[in-house]
Amino acid sequence: MYSQPHINRPSPPAPVYFVDPNSFRRDYAARLAELTINSRPIIQTLSMIAQEYSKWAEIVAQCLEAHIRRVPPWIKLPGFYLLDAISKNVYDPYTRHFAPFVIGLFLETYQQVDQATRSKMEEMLLTWRTASPTGKELFGVIPQLAIERGIWGGDSNPTGATSGQISRAQVLSELEFTLSQKERALQSNAWDTTAQRHVQILQQLRKLVEAGVSQDELRQILTQLRSLSQTPQLAAAAPPPPPTTSYQYQAQPAYPRQATQSAFPPPVSQHSPSTTYASYALPSINQPKSEPVDSASLLSSVKSTGVPPTDIAGLYSALLKAGIVAGTGTPVGAGATATSEDTVASSTSSENLSRDAARAYRKSVLTQNIRLTNADITRKRPNIDRLLYDRLPVQCKQCGIRFSDDTLGKKEMEDHLDMHFRQNRKANQSLGRGHSRSWFVDLDDWVHEGRVDVKGKGRADGPRPTTNKAALVVDAARRDAELRTQFVVVPSGDEAKSLSCPICKENLKTEFLEDDEEWVWKNAVRKDDKIYHATCYAEAMSSKHTLASRLRQDTTSRSRSGTPDACRATPPKGNPSVRSSQSRSPDSKRATLKRKASIDDFSRSSVKMESNGTPPMKKMALAA
Amino acid sequence: MKEWVLEPETEYRFELDPGTSLAIKVRSPTPSELTPQLAHGQAEVFGAELAEGKTYLFGTECRAAVFTWQGCTLEISATPSSLLTTCHITGRPSTEYVSEETPMAAYANVHIAFEQMRVRALRIVHGSPASDDDANANAEPPRVLVLGPENSGKTTVCKILTNYTVRAGQNWSPVLVNVDPSEGGWAVPGAISAAPIRSPIATASPANPLGSAVTSAPTALSSNALIPLSYWYGHSETKRNPVLLDRLIRNLGENIRERDDDDPEARVSGLIVDTPSSFASSSGSAPDNRHTLIKACVDAFRINVILVVGHEKLTVEMQRLFGNRFTVVKIPKSGGVVELDHSYRERVRKYQLHTYMYGQKIDPPPGIASAIVGGEAVADLVLSPSSCVLKFEDLAIYRIGAENMAPSSALPIGAARMLSEMQPVLVDPASSSSGLLNSILALLAPFNPDESERYDEEILDLSVVGFLVVTSIDAPNRKMTILAPNQGSLAGKTALLGSFDWQE
Repeated sequence: MYSQPHINRPSPPAPVYFVDPNSFRRDYAARLAELTINSRPIIQTLSMIAQEYSKWAEIVAQCLEAHIRRVPPWIKLPGFYLLDAISKNVYDPYTRHFAPFVIGLFLETYQQVDQATRSKMEEMLLTWRTASPTGKELFGVIPQLAIERGIWGGDSNPTGATSGQISRAQVLSELEFTLSQKERALQSNAWDTTAQRHVQILQQLRKLVEAGVSQDELRQILTQLRSLSQTPQLAAAAPPPPPTTSYQYQAQPAYPRQATQSAFPPPVSQHSPSTTYASYALPSINQPKSEPVDSASLLSSVKSTGVPPTDIAGLYSALLKAGIVAGTGTPVGAGATATSEDTVASSTSSENLSRDAARAYRKSVLTQNIRLTNADITRKRPNIDRLLYDRLPVQCKQCGIRFSDDTLGKKEMEDHLDMHFRQNRKANQSLGRGHSRSWFVDLDDWVHEGRVDVKGKGRADGPRPTTNKAALVVDAARRDAELRTQFVVVPSGDEAKSLSCPICKENLKTEFLEDDEEWVWKNAVRKDDKIYHATCYAEAMSSKHTLASRLRQDTTSRSRSGTPDACRATPPKGNPSVRSSQSRSPDSKRATLKRKASIDDFSRSSVKMESNGTPPMKKMALAA
Repeated sequence: MKEWVLEPETEYRFELDPGTSLAIKVRSPTPSELTPQLAHGQAEVFGAELAEGKTYLFGTECRAAVFTWQGCTLEISATPSSLLTTCHITGRPSTEYVSEETPMAAYANVHIAFEQMRVRALRIVHGSPASDDDANANAEPPRVLVLGPENSGKTTVCKILTNYTVRAGQNWSPVLVNVDPSEGGWAVPGAISAAPIRSPIATASPANPLGSAVTSAPTALSSNALIPLSYWYGHSETKRNPVLLDRLIRNLGENIRERDDDDPEARVSGLIVDTPSSFASSSGSAPDNRHTLIKACVDAFRINVILVVGHEKLTVEMQRLFGNRFTVVKIPKSGGVVELDHSYRERVRKYQLHTYMYGQKIDPPPGIASAIVGGEAVADLVLSPSSCVLKFEDLAIYRIGAENMAPSSALPIGAARMLSEMQPVLVDPASSSSGLLNSILALLAPFNPDESERYDEEILDLSVVGFLVVTSIDAPNRKMTILAPNQGSLAGKTALLGSFDWQE
């Protein structure tokens, strides 16, 4: 056990656990059978398992399809939510496995379920339009169109420019969808006047459509709506080449998130139209702020009076004329006041809740009559199981941590599950890459941890990197995953050629990107007309900075001759502290990050590659 | 595989031999049992609850116990003693039994008393009105020093009390302090350290009894990504250089105090200090030294409760010393503690160093599908250190005090030796008598960048950023190979030598 060589590549994580696909299938099917209500914990657990065992995606897909087909109509929706969760959060390889049956299954189910469920399904379907990691259709354009056509009939080509009847139902459900997006944006930023205005307009529009409008108007509304919900994605994908990472799509909230206090969905009975689809999709840290981009199309048209009469502003002004909307210009202000008051009220109430909880806890602890004396301690019967177990009936199935079953506890449990989800995802993305012990933080960071930290944000919630340095370390795995998503398009005609990375001499893998309809080399980066593995290249660049050369620089001269012979080259892996020039613009990058401060710090101090591929000799991030 | 049914308030105790592992699963109730009354299957290992239906792995000579307040059923499978993981025989721990006599009720009472101190302290911070029953009670949070002789279960008591605290659901984050240099806490043996704890500390192996320091791997439990503050003492015996240990304890205390001032809400969680057994043993070290170090702890951490684990004489002694200032309580010792011999402690030290560099790998017993080690999936626990060649002048290595010091008592009467005990001595790697090869170095944080703030003995007050091992020395070329925990550049240029060696 202790005879390992110094340079120790971790053996690839042993595929322990379900060694046997049959037992995995049995277990997964059994767990699926429990999915009879819209339970976020169950969906999350099943989705995590799917992520963990993506090598058996086929089994998961079969189980899930069978499950949805088998269960009675009023239990089908949770199954679809699971399918949706797995597709969005894990994406590959699941969408490939789901795609063959998703059309039939969706349409079949749609026929069987009640109206409330239908509208939930429509809502979900609309999110699929842009839910792939590249911001495109989750299961590809063909299944998407096929399903939409099956539901709404006619031509629902996103360009919206063609013929065909547009049903009022379709417009309404898309309207609802856009509206819920905006409302969510408003929730995350109550002071966003643009979002406030959008919400108002959309609500007016809904009334209008419900009352009945002409085919032409329907089409206009639809076109506008689509441009509205599509713009953000286009903007996010703008910097060439589209650096699509698995993080990008997280940033798009897939579902209306319920108000904070009630985000844990009550068990759904089959006929409960009031239940909103809880956003188990992703943690709130990734919630985008309201997008400035989409305001361009709508807000400007609302503001200015000289816009063509064919757009929403035209409708809006028509509404104005009709007197449906108050034309004084005050409604926005009124809305703003109301909303901000609501927000203040809800935040104070959450604070009150935790104060109340603390008070209740104090009472229950102080009623226990125990003093710190030898006699009391050895003779009394402790009431401990009430304090540690009965008072906290909700338990995390993953790690056994408990929560109370009141609103506060449910919120904490939800945050806790999100944490597990993120952690599992990170673990999967960095699988086989190897990890290492981090340096301890320096004294100042340790002492002032509390100041940096956001207090009261759930306990026991995984690694909460509380200093920039700790955050850096935790982010390393994430950056590595980012490197791996880089690709180079294969020049046409070269598809059959095999190409090896000049560093590790292993072949670059080609893959067909369905969304772009192009063959690409995955995990690849082009430097000086050579194609490298993005990870190898980053590694090579960073290993020039290993301690020997850096120390020599610091102690002796400032010469650039980082003679690498002094450093017994560490095997190419794992140190992703180099950011490639190909990565996204700082802005979009920032949007995907948990802690702005940490990435700022990182990008300031990290080694940046220059276009010629020679990194400047800078201190590395962790050196300070 | 074997099933154990535990009655309420009993525990299943086990001891593992080298190379064996053990998997424990708290059985989920079968659907027919799924009535609320029968759904209890609650079990905990040293205060950390086990999730029902999950399989937990234990290894590297772990000696632990699964306790239940309300009763549970355990499924246990184990590997036999063998270095080959391909072995298919199902074995069992070298010792396993169920005990009905545990000190858990007493520990729970102590915990409740501490919770009362915490909620009162929090009330003051919140400025809420006092209720009648606690108007004149102590409103300081519990700052606890745990003392006890060798093999009395001090560390376990600390762990149980800490785990109960974080499980209260009140966002407590007590600071756990380890001043036992032979144990090392989250660092390696030779260090003393402190870390705030936010989630229960899982038990899997004696290599990281108090949770694990942060790695680049994502972790499910924050107690496996702790951010410790560490100082390097460098020896396992407290009597080797008590003056230095005294100073490091005070450094630790001062920084915790500063941290508390920074965050009054975190302060109310209090702190728990685990101590070396030499603080309690009346034989060997002179009582003066013991008392000096205990007083150093009491002052540095502003201790207001001393728990003495199963040692009446020491309790009386402490009551005499501190009884007029604060509470000294004796708590019972668990019958489950195992007499640990010297060679076991040596092996654990090796496990700890290995775990610091390479992470933890426990091979599950055959037939175990998915399992958790210390709260984490197995795959994430393997770490890769990095080996690197350094020029001698790239790293300044010091030793604190002369290598072989005569005991103070051997000095002429009235002669002080403060200076030489605290004197940093530069070690020359080229010298054959340097003792550097295979030794463990503590890499220190950089000196104060501001020259005017520097002082003579600053090196004694620098915290540790990591540990290195010298794996080879090439004196003719003035180079040495070191093993560092990660591939990042060294976070400092000064290192301290102690008396610990490590060879894989």
